Amino acid sequence: MQNSEELKWALLIASLAMLAMAFCMIAFVMYYQKKRFEEEKRINDIEKNYNRLLLDTALNSEETERRRIAQDLHDDIGTMLSLTKLSLNQLSKLVANSGDEKEESIMKKSQSLVEETILHVRRITRDLVPTTLERFGLMEAIEEFIHKLEEDNNLVIAFQSNTEEFPRQGQKLELTLYRIMQELVNNAIKHASCTKIDIVLEIDEEMIGLRVTDNGVGFDPEKIKESNLAGLGLLGIESRLAIVNGTVQYEQPARGGSSAIARIPVNPASGNKPEPLHPFRRERVNI
Amino acid sequence: MFDSHFAYIVNNPISSIAVFVTVLPLTLTITRKAFLDKSLRLLFCYLVSKLIIDIIMLHLASTRTNNLILYNLSIPLFYALLSGMFYFQFTGKAQKGFVLTSIVGVFVFSIWDIFNSNENLGDLNEHRLVLYAKTVEGVLMISLILLYFYEIIKSLQIPNLLTFPFFWVCSGLLLYYSSLIFLAPFLHYTYTWNNQTDLGITEVIPSIFEILCAVLFSVGIYNFSPRKYAK
Repeated sequence: MQNSEELKWALLIASLAMLAMAFCMIAFVMYYQKKRFEEEKRINDIEKNYNRLLLDTALNSEETERRRIAQDLHDDIGTMLSLTKLSLNQLSKLVANSGDEKEESIMKKSQSLVEETILHVRRITRDLVPTTLERFGLMEAIEEFIHKLEEDNNLVIAFQSNTEEFPRQGQKLELTLYRIMQELVNNAIKHASCTKIDIVLEIDEEMIGLRVTDNGVGFDPEKIKESNLAGLGLLGIESRLAIVNGTVQYEQPARGGSSAIARIPVNPASGNKPEPLHPFRRERVNI
Repeated sequence: MFDSHFAYIVNNPISSIAVFVTVLPLTLTITRKAFLDKSLRLLFCYLVSKLIIDIIMLHLASTRTNNLILYNLSIPLFYALLSGMFYFQFTGKAQKGFVLTSIVGVFVFSIWDIFNSNENLGDLNEHRLVLYAKTVEGVLMISLILLYFYEIIKSLQIPNLLTFPFFWVCSGLLLYYSSLIFLAPFLHYTYTWNNQTDLGITEVIPSIFEILCAVLFSVGIYNFSPRKYAK
């Protein structure tokens, strides 16, 4: 009888201990799983921030390098070309006095070549650093870009905005929108065989939207991204947007062609205007 | 007509509730369409067979007939259905192989144990519970559950366990088999026709956790969404 009672207690205690272990096991799995997910999320966030920082630094370096090259072209080559032009002007007067027509013709050709080179250098400098964007804002920069393109290409580019006075945004945001617009328009010209491009810039209280639509052959963004090199332009757009918390969406309108819509949260300018190109400045530019 | 049945239910309320509580997860399986999932379809089969066997056992018990042969025969059937659920949950070939092998193993072992525990199989009145098979079933089920928990933690594919149906099913099974594992071998000696040993509250613990297990099954099935499953 004594043994029977002891057996009962032993069984009860063993069963309860086993149950306690089972409860602990379930609780542990739930707790550990939750902890691991939190840890994984934290690591992902760190990785994401790190990649973003890396991308930001790369783009900053690119812009700094562009500015440095533009500065060198403007200060060194540009100055030397201007001096060459002045010297040629003086020489031209001497040649004109000598009365030799052949020498005069060579002189005029040299002067015209130098002037053309000066124009080229100016254009390259402007392309490298969008000074209009920095000085006058996004709408003026886009209009200037369109004007230049229409001169060089046989296509119609329409630009419209939902506001006449587009409020100035942070330098990084404006540059991002400008570069994306450049990339999308260049892509349309290079790959879409289009005859018309529509650029729409819209702003509301929270978001800025940039839509570039063409009437070309259209494309499948996913397929292009899969083929490594062809997708670099689109990846570049996505990388730039990731830094400013923006998104991009590609559509294929029913009437043909393609349409890309970039959306970026509004970030009004802080008031620090960038320095214009200056002959003696070489500091790093933080955009 | 059902006087003896009612009397039995009144005298054994906990074990009777453990029989009828199976209706709850069964109903939920139908209403939530949980049978769309392969594992939960096997759970549905388990619940149906368990309800049928339990009702027959309750009927036999209330009419003072030895029903232990059904309990013994249900061991390989229940193990096949419950471990079969893990077959669909595991991704590794080794685990799947282990599940299939163990089903065959438990079937063979249970049959052997029925013969081993009963010298005269023809005498159903003196039929006794198996000595080892239930414990082996419990050990294997707990091993499968722990292996599955390890897989869950390792793969990190389930963001919220509380809304994952199979986690609740596993929790219910783990608690039920944990409550039974030490007790099972003793039932061979205590569940005899001329029983002299009363295990008291310990004997009721598995029934309590059978009820809890059914409730946890119900929670899991309630969390099943056909829409999510389709995705």
